[in-house]
Amino acid sequence: MAADEDPEPGPLVRMFAVTGGRARPVGEAFDVIAVVTTIGMPYDQAGLSPEHLAALRLATRPITVADIGTRLRLPLNITRVLLGDLRREGLVSIDPPAATAGVLNERIYQEVLNGLRAL
Amino acid sequence: MDYARSDTLAIKILIAGGFGVGKTTMVSAVSEIQPLSTEELLSDRGARVDDTSGVEAKTTTTVALDFGRITLREGLWIYLFGTPGQDRFWFMWDELAIGALGAVVLADTRRLGDAFPAVDFFEQRRIPYMVAVNLFDGARRHDPAVIRRALAVPAHVPLVPCDARDRESAKEVLLTLVRHAREMSRVGAN
Repeated sequence: MAADEDPEPGPLVRMFAVTGGRARPVGEAFDVIAVVTTIGMPYDQAGLSPEHLAALRLATRPITVADIGTRLRLPLNITRVLLGDLRREGLVSIDPPAATAGVLNERIYQEVLNGLRAL
Repeated sequence: MDYARSDTLAIKILIAGGFGVGKTTMVSAVSEIQPLSTEELLSDRGARVDDTSGVEAKTTTTVALDFGRITLREGLWIYLFGTPGQDRFWFMWDELAIGALGAVVLADTRRLGDAFPAVDFFEQRRIPYMVAVNLFDGARRHDPAVIRRALAVPAHVPLVPCDARDRESAKEVLLTLVRHAREMSRVGAN
């Protein structure tokens, strides 16, 4: 590809290209460790970037926002913009992590303690 | 609901403290992955707190955010976030702190004062936290009671020595924090 012959654009340039200059995701805010799950595949991939599609593939099994960002080598807030797009299109669900969902109960505390001891 | 989804839990623990106190070291000691440093792109809010006297105001700046992961079982993860050490990134703490199970404030006896902003932050927001005093090589050992007084840390908050480089020590710190958070949730429920 001709583009490969160009010097690597700076990281900021790449980030802005990915989100079209947007810094905030659309819709309700979500946590950096919210759990993302792909719930649909697009009929028409026009309008979705390679990063959008990569995120959809990663989330076919539940995965956190932080891990998607790491795998795509994108900053977390850029990752969130992409995931906000996918949620708006009805392609992913984004579930709150444990504590904000109010589900940190005795059983989970105990499971965490047992898990840590067993490491 | 999809079983896999409803059974998936991610838990967030913050590792806070002053610059260079060993936050990244502790994250890497206990994480199953190399701490990942993601360059966060900051927009408006970040630019405004920059000192740009006489300079065209920057619209973006970046800050590194370190995090690690511990998988307790399929679908149950602990994420450790090393909070940005510089005070001017306090607003990132704010967002990270929402929904956190708790926080470890790492302290260095040579620069105890650096731990103040973090202790203050978690006290004000009523987020369960503990103090772990990182015993660097050659660091003088201090009486825990003296450190507690110096940092104005309440009696119910755990304060323990640790070696941030050591996996077992870091694990012990996390266990102490989770027990403390559970205790706090019981108190809160009554």
